[in-house]
Amino acid sequence: FHPLPWRQSRRASRGGYMAAKISKLEEQFQKDAPREKQKDGTSSCIFNGVAIYVNGYTDPSADELRRLMMLHGGQFHLYYTHSRTTHIIATNLPNRKIQELKGEKVVRPEWITDSIKAGRQLSYVQYQLYAKQKSLNFTSICARGKPDLNGSCSIIFEEDTERPRVNGIHDGDDETCALFCSSAGSKSTSHQRSLISTASPAKQPGLDNMQKDLHPKPRSNPGTSAAPQKGNLHDQTRVRLNGSYHTTPNSSNLADSSNHPGKSGQGAEAGIISEFFSHSRLHHISTWRNEFSEYVNALQSRRRAARGAVFSGKEKLKKLKANCSSLMAAPQVRQSCILHVDMDCFFVSVGIRHRPDLIGKPVAVTSNRGPGRVAQRPGANPQLEFQYYQRKQKQYRKGKLSNGVDLDLAALSMAEIASCSYEARQAGVRNGMFFGRAKQLCPDLQSVPYDFQAYKEVALSMYETLASYTHNIEALSCDEALVDATNLLVEVGVNPDDLAQAIREDIKEKTGCSASVGMGSNILLARMATRKAKPNGQYFLRSEEVDDFIRDQPVSSLPGVGRSMSSKLTSLGVSTCGDLQQLSISRLQREFGPRTGQTLFRFCRGLDDRPVRSEKERKSVSAEMNYNIRFTQVEEAESFLTDLSMEVQKRLEGAGLRGRRITLKVMVRKPGAPVEPAKYGGHGICDNFARSVLLAQPTDSGQLIAAEAIKLFHGMKLHVKDMRGVGLQVQQLEGSHANPSGQGSSRGRSIKDLLLAKQPAHSPKKDPLATSSSRVCSSSQERVTHPSSPPSTSSDPVPGTSKGGLHHPHPPNHVRTCLNVTIEVPSPSQVDQSVLEALPVDIRKQVELSWRHREEQPSTSSHLSTPPRTSSSPPPGPSLGTLVLQLPHQPGQPCTTGIILELPDFSQVDPDVFAALPRELQEELCSAYRNKRNAQAHVQAQSSAVMQKNTFPQLKQPAVGKLKHRYKKRNASPAKKGPSPLKKLFPGNSPAKSSPSKTLPLPLKQPGLKVSLTDVPETLSKFNPRPVPTLAGAYEFSDIRTLLREWVTSISEPMEEDILQVVKYCTELVEDKDLEKLCLVIKYMKRLMQQSPESVWSMAFDFILDNVQVVVQQTYGSTLKIT
Amino acid sequence: MATLTRQDLNFGQVVADILCEFLEVAIHLILYVREIYPSGIFQKRKKYNVPVQMSCHPELNQYIQDTLHCVKPLIQKNEAEKVVMVIMDKEHHPVERFVFEISQPPLLSISSETLLSHVEQLLRAMILKISVCDAVLDNNPPGCTFTLLVHTREAATRNMEKVQVIKDFPWIVADEQEVHMEEAKLIPLKTMTSDILKMQLYVEERTQKN
Repeated sequence: FHPLPWRQSRRASRGGYMAAKISKLEEQFQKDAPREKQKDGTSSCIFNGVAIYVNGYTDPSADELRRLMMLHGGQFHLYYTHSRTTHIIATNLPNRKIQELKGEKVVRPEWITDSIKAGRQLSYVQYQLYAKQKSLNFTSICARGKPDLNGSCSIIFEEDTERPRVNGIHDGDDETCALFCSSAGSKSTSHQRSLISTASPAKQPGLDNMQKDLHPKPRSNPGTSAAPQKGNLHDQTRVRLNGSYHTTPNSSNLADSSNHPGKSGQGAEAGIISEFFSHSRLHHISTWRNEFSEYVNALQSRRRAARGAVFSGKEKLKKLKANCSSLMAAPQVRQSCILHVDMDCFFVSVGIRHRPDLIGKPVAVTSNRGPGRVAQRPGANPQLEFQYYQRKQKQYRKGKLSNGVDLDLAALSMAEIASCSYEARQAGVRNGMFFGRAKQLCPDLQSVPYDFQAYKEVALSMYETLASYTHNIEALSCDEALVDATNLLVEVGVNPDDLAQAIREDIKEKTGCSASVGMGSNILLARMATRKAKPNGQYFLRSEEVDDFIRDQPVSSLPGVGRSMSSKLTSLGVSTCGDLQQLSISRLQREFGPRTGQTLFRFCRGLDDRPVRSEKERKSVSAEMNYNIRFTQVEEAESFLTDLSMEVQKRLEGAGLRGRRITLKVMVRKPGAPVEPAKYGGHGICDNFARSVLLAQPTDSGQLIAAEAIKLFHGMKLHVKDMRGVGLQVQQLEGSHANPSGQGSSRGRSIKDLLLAKQPAHSPKKDPLATSSSRVCSSSQERVTHPSSPPSTSSDPVPGTSKGGLHHPHPPNHVRTCLNVTIEVPSPSQVDQSVLEALPVDIRKQVELSWRHREEQPSTSSHLSTPPRTSSSPPPGPSLGTLVLQLPHQPGQPCTTGIILELPDFSQVDPDVFAALPRELQEELCSAYRNKRNAQAHVQAQSSAVMQKNTFPQLKQPAVGKLKHRYKKRNASPAKKGPSPLKKLFPGNSPAKSSPSKTLPLPLKQPGLKVSLTDVPETLSKFNPRPVPTLAGAYEFSDIRTLLREWVTSISEPMEEDILQVVKYCTELVEDKDLEKLCLVIKYMKRLMQQSPESVWSMAFDFILDNVQVVVQQTYGSTLKIT
Repeated sequence: MATLTRQDLNFGQVVADILCEFLEVAIHLILYVREIYPSGIFQKRKKYNVPVQMSCHPELNQYIQDTLHCVKPLIQKNEAEKVVMVIMDKEHHPVERFVFEISQPPLLSISSETLLSHVEQLLRAMILKISVCDAVLDNNPPGCTFTLLVHTREAATRNMEKVQVIKDFPWIVADEQEVHMEEAKLIPLKTMTSDILKMQLYVEERTQKN
């Protein structure tokens, strides 16, 4: 194909055949030359003594060049011969070849054409392809202006659709992501300069625009030898980092790029990853589902707005029905019917829809257009990798592997097949197969290039077609969708087969591609029916057939059953759904875990209750790149992570989400794996590592993510050179609308930004600080603000609780649960300047100081725990102005609708402090607490006669009761809250209990009673899934103990629900393999409950113990010894 | 920590080294505490900053070492689920089984500099628990012997057959009677969770020992 020197040597050893062939070709060439000269009058002998060899695609083509050489006295070699070929003509060579051809004259074809134009043989120096490579140096030249060049990763992204391809190695003809590292210091810059200057004298007329970028090949230029070592090193770095392309844009392009330094400078740096993703085809396709989901959503909302849209398809269907009386027999029984519409080998049928000649032929969509053979690059070891994958495959499918594939693997193209036609599939070609291998299986295989525009068009028109029938569509991917046709069928009165027929005809007509439709009473069955319907058919799986049908289906056809699970099932002797039906649910749950087990149990019986959803909740947002990752220095990896974080930020913003858990995934070359993978720029055989971190607050800030990712990255202590892939994932998502001012606000993540962004939302109550400070709270203003206490930042005696409010681990929860409650910290912009000036000097200074302090401090820093407020409070002294700030901050019950409120729990309020408050403040607080209580626990409004002192215990009681209840209900704030609230809260109960106020009607008649709690809805518990088993949010043993004691001592009769919770917790402990803790918990319960005077407790314990013992017995085969 | 450079840091290896070292100490200590061998063959040593007992009987030590040497590659690959030390009476019926149940922590990582000291603390706690385990266990009948079992995950045994780590030290599939104990009671001793290792130690004790 492309004989290269190394191959040549092999050929030479093969004997005289090649030599004979070459000489014969030369003879032929000589013979043809005069004829050619005769035909074309313009002949010369300027290329006398020149023998060219054309490598790869060139413009003009090799044939044309051959003709030109004939005309102008040169030689044209069809095979490269080291000793005789003088010039190699190429426009585009991969890195490997360049290295192999070191020392050869590799020249662009323009040399020939220009020489002919000039009528003489021009110096080839200007046309060298090597110089071209050098021309990419402009990156570092451009980066010169940046202060810290070290490690800056500048990226050139060149998108040239007309770029010629050399051979099949490159699988990214539509996306080129060339990553250059310009770790250039001033040294290398000077090196560049020296190169430029040495290049200048050699310039030719008419090539001015190139002189900047073209540097002579180092070998032939004396100037380079003097170049500093670092420059050379730098070049090497670049070459290695460089992606699969050494592009040779034509000279105008070059001039362009040199005229736009920004392209390679800072701008490009930030753009690399987004560029990569905006051009990666896989990424494209994977994002389409979201796009189409949105499309469907948009359609739905449009219809809602329009109050009944016109469904053209539906109308047609109605007409059809009216015309055809046979359809009248359609069943009127309302039975749910799901259609699964799937295009038949989408990529292929789109690719050949305008090429009727390919219909019925084996066709594959792939980036490779050559014959499927490529040269092997040194350093790569495809055999080894192949063996590795083969081994890996063997683990899953034992013995099923087709042998006899160990042909000349080295030369096979590694371009993957994205999709292949049914004809190709018959020959054994599969999607995802390497093209070279496929070509062996099916020599007639035709390759079709990717055509993303067309895919999109076709997919869109498919969705449009579907949407013309109904809007109950779930987009699964670009080529398949689920349609809930239940209502449609009833409304129109046709049967599913007619509907499917109509839809398929419609799609065929509009897109020119065929689709298959499977129908069933649920999603699972519809999908399975599609399998039967394919290709280009439809199948309605009637409910009476389901049992027979599903019995013969292989388990691997069930959703969620992948390779590992099916191999596990095989080991259980299960291959079809029928076999699976034989297994009991408990067996399945034991083997696969409770949830998967149940799902399997249901699926193999054809049961599936998943609804067709037009919108799916996202669980994570991530960005990953494992192509072309070749770092040489830690700094490169870091800046790459930063870029990746920015991409993640973009996606989070796009989805309107923020997440708390950040996971860094890294692919590292497996020790012993070849340094260069078989696939160019691919990752080869890798080990995967992942680490994650949980943030205190959800974020969508790229900077913050980057900082965390880099920390994680350093924690992994990897060898950067072995990194082959990097991915960032953000989980534990929540909508960013929790922040009232929208998405942008959290970007900067400094408190100031946060506040500035929030400002408009709070403008009506502009300066809470000033309000409280100057004590001009009007009681009509029924909100208590809980502003930050500026002094809290430093050595203030007041434990600045409110400050913790912002950084407290749980605010997210509350933010989520309460309508509009957010953390209120006044920022400079929010504080009325006049009020600030009116403050005493020292206070003002403190306020200002704290602002300054905060600006310096990013929000993630420490303040995680709220120092608990206890009795010792400072007397209301001169700092009275900040008295309100002293209120302990308990992020528990923010309240009242729509108003920003942050009240401490009443139990937290120190009576002394309260009493010391000025009267109007007391009143305001009381009314606030009253409101809160009204809103929360449906307490009837208390009489307005609220007295200063005795209001407190009155109010305190409900708060306590609520808290207790909260713990019982397991909805408490996450365990992170830790011991502090628990320890503090429970002892706090006792005085309250003994207080006279007990006679007051309690809002909660009985603890443990189900009272709707507005402040802690169920969502909380799932908000923060924690692997550690928790009981009511507690996981430390001491907390558990406190909790249990409270439970047993305060209630005379345990609720069944609570007992079950305890059992569940114990079961979780067993599953978590923490028998020690389990034993302690049980023993503690035993002591508590058997000592309890009520015999019900004793029974409760027996019940718990029995249940736990069963679980332990199942897991360990023996029971716990409880002494 | 300082000796570990970035390149050769292999999680599995680190975990296996730490764990096997611990297992050796633990096995010796159990032998002492459970009085399998006369106390005369034990010497007092210091490990994890606490006193431990170590046998100085060369053959016994060799057996333990060889066993652990074979176990190490399994742990490295996370293929060992449990390492069990079975104490059997004269009739070779197990009376006690000390089960070291090993699992990987949710997130395997070697992160901080304080990691090793933290792991050491946890292991120390386990050692201390072993040294007092006779308080919760009944006395063993006289003339007990012991054996070591490994519960492997998946097909690890096959590999063990193929590659003998130590020559002439083959493994055999355990007898059912060694694995299974009737009417056993489970006594959890200690659970530890660190960044690199999650392990719990429990004892299964036969209800009627004599």
